[in-house]
Amino acid sequence: MDAFLNQAFAGLSMASILLMVALGLAIIYGAMGVINLAHGEFVMLGAYSAWLLQTYLGLGILVALPVVFLMVALVGLLVERGVVRWLYHRPLDTILATWGVAILLQQLVRSVIGPESRYVAGPSILDGNLVLGGVVMSNYRIFLIFFSLAVVAATWFLLKRSEFGTKLRAVIQNKEISECYGIRADRVYSLAFAYGAGLAGMAGALITPLVSVTPTMGTYLVVDAFLVVIVGGVGSLLGTVAAAGLVGEATAMFSMLMNDTIGRIAVLLAIIFLIRFKPMGLFPDKVRR
Amino acid sequence: MNRTFKTDCIGYALFAILLLVVIPWAVSFDGFALNTYARYLALGMVAMALALSWGYAGILNLGQAVPFSLGAYIMAMHLKLQASAHLPGGLPDFMGWTNVEVLPWFWQPFHSLPVTLVAGIAVPVALAALLAVFMFRGRITGVFVAIITLAFLVAVQLMFIEEQRYTGGQNGLTGLAPLQLFGWRVDNYSTQFYYLVAVCLMVSLAIGLALVRSKVGLVLKAIREDASRVRFFGYDVARYETLAFCTSAAIAGWAGMLYVLVLEFASPTYMGVAFSLAIVIWCAVGGRESLVAAALGGIIVNLLEGRLSDMFVDGWTFFLGALFIVVVLVAPRGLFGLVQSAVRHTGKVLRSERGGARARWLATGVGTRRIDNGGR
Repeated sequence: MDAFLNQAFAGLSMASILLMVALGLAIIYGAMGVINLAHGEFVMLGAYSAWLLQTYLGLGILVALPVVFLMVALVGLLVERGVVRWLYHRPLDTILATWGVAILLQQLVRSVIGPESRYVAGPSILDGNLVLGGVVMSNYRIFLIFFSLAVVAATWFLLKRSEFGTKLRAVIQNKEISECYGIRADRVYSLAFAYGAGLAGMAGALITPLVSVTPTMGTYLVVDAFLVVIVGGVGSLLGTVAAAGLVGEATAMFSMLMNDTIGRIAVLLAIIFLIRFKPMGLFPDKVRR
Repeated sequence: MNRTFKTDCIGYALFAILLLVVIPWAVSFDGFALNTYARYLALGMVAMALALSWGYAGILNLGQAVPFSLGAYIMAMHLKLQASAHLPGGLPDFMGWTNVEVLPWFWQPFHSLPVTLVAGIAVPVALAALLAVFMFRGRITGVFVAIITLAFLVAVQLMFIEEQRYTGGQNGLTGLAPLQLFGWRVDNYSTQFYYLVAVCLMVSLAIGLALVRSKVGLVLKAIREDASRVRFFGYDVARYETLAFCTSAAIAGWAGMLYVLVLEFASPTYMGVAFSLAIVIWCAVGGRESLVAAALGGIIVNLLEGRLSDMFVDGWTFFLGALFIVVVLVAPRGLFGLVQSAVRHTGKVLRSERGGARARWLATGVGTRRIDNGGR
């Protein structure tokens, strides 16, 4: 039983990471239909920003978070202005162009900072474990779970309650008509893309104590995150949360029953089946387009 | 005989001359250089295979590396068994290290060369057919096809790395014997070997062209433009899509077999996400609307990679990334599109000049004055 609960906690922890990565992607894909394969590289840039800030300025991860968010959001803004905005009517081509961006960013980091893996210390306040019966939970992972939920809440507020969110939803529903009402659609798109990138950067900074930071760390993360977005249903925040939980827990449970790799393969195949039979995801958005 | 058919024939003939005459002559039949070119040709062949499904049927298959690497592994298994004949039980060395006692059943058939050659195409096709029927019966299109094939690719790669006992894991299959092709010991640094690869590419290209020039090709193009309308005409869209997908997989598997002969090892990087997306970009650079152009794209990009990565190690990756972006933004139809519009443009200029001369001849006075003005 303890093994099961421990594994369930590991799954939840994995889900929280996936959620933060996937949330930015959900906005970028849901709002703009852009398949952003450079998203993993935004995560990687976030991780490296956290490492830079810690190594050279002595800032802890938690203090550095807002800075990391802004730095990666800026990169996202540049990518959107430079590349993505020309491709809004060609969703398949965004796959290729953003993969090109991903290659460039990866090589940039490899050339400037070096290919070796870097380590970032976690915040010392969150050292130690919480032991509940036979279940050992690291404080930092517990923090991540709550933090990711807080990010979802903030994003929900931004999308549904703020003026920017109203504009974004208007543009998603009908770009031309909202432009007639004086909404500058291209600016809304840019900001949404930058916000998504910033979220990815924050996720990257937060996972640095758990993984080693390398230029290629984002590549497989983006596939997983993308699957989460599709499974959850395009344009549905709640769906993304549920899908992240589902994929995280499923991976953890399959890994316990079989082994890590077979578990991942099983989840991938399950997702393929899910996309085949429910391409709109588990919780499709009811908005008319 | 219509014009596009003539263009196809000319393109094919020029391509054949390039492969069979120009390249061997340009490197003056040097074995080492021909080996590198044989590698480019094998990669051009996969790019061509992708153009068949992506360019003609609009199926963006991000997992094109799956059939390619399956073909590669199957050929490598045969060669590995040949190389391990003298070992106890004929067991490949890595199996000995991982405590495998007897040769697993799925390795057994690959003792035989004919079985290997057939399986190298049949296995990728069978798997592709399974996936294609699964996807296309459900009317999965566009982005979702891309995502499913990508997820499938990752799953297959994980599987091959995980099952180290049977596949050599991260190391792949190395230490292969040279192929004995019906009594001919294939030396991969020989001129004959280069011609083997070149002829394979030309034959597969001919098969591809025959397919797209047939009525099937026309229906595929129609599906790419608007699948629903084709369905309303009573065509079984899924069947055509499956056909294109499987033909593409067959050629990719074939190319994979050749690739192993060139490089003498099979590695799980052949089924990596990076490699699979690279195939897509080769195809895009050449131009996905033409099979010859896609094959050329594969050859050109890899040739550039070979040249540039020798000079600047990091620079090449930057160049590749930039190439992705520039091709998508500026020339989504690839080199083929650029050449085509250039040809059309010159054609138009020539025709309008002929027309202009006629107009000047009709209205002599005005025309002459304008020419004079232009002269000054």
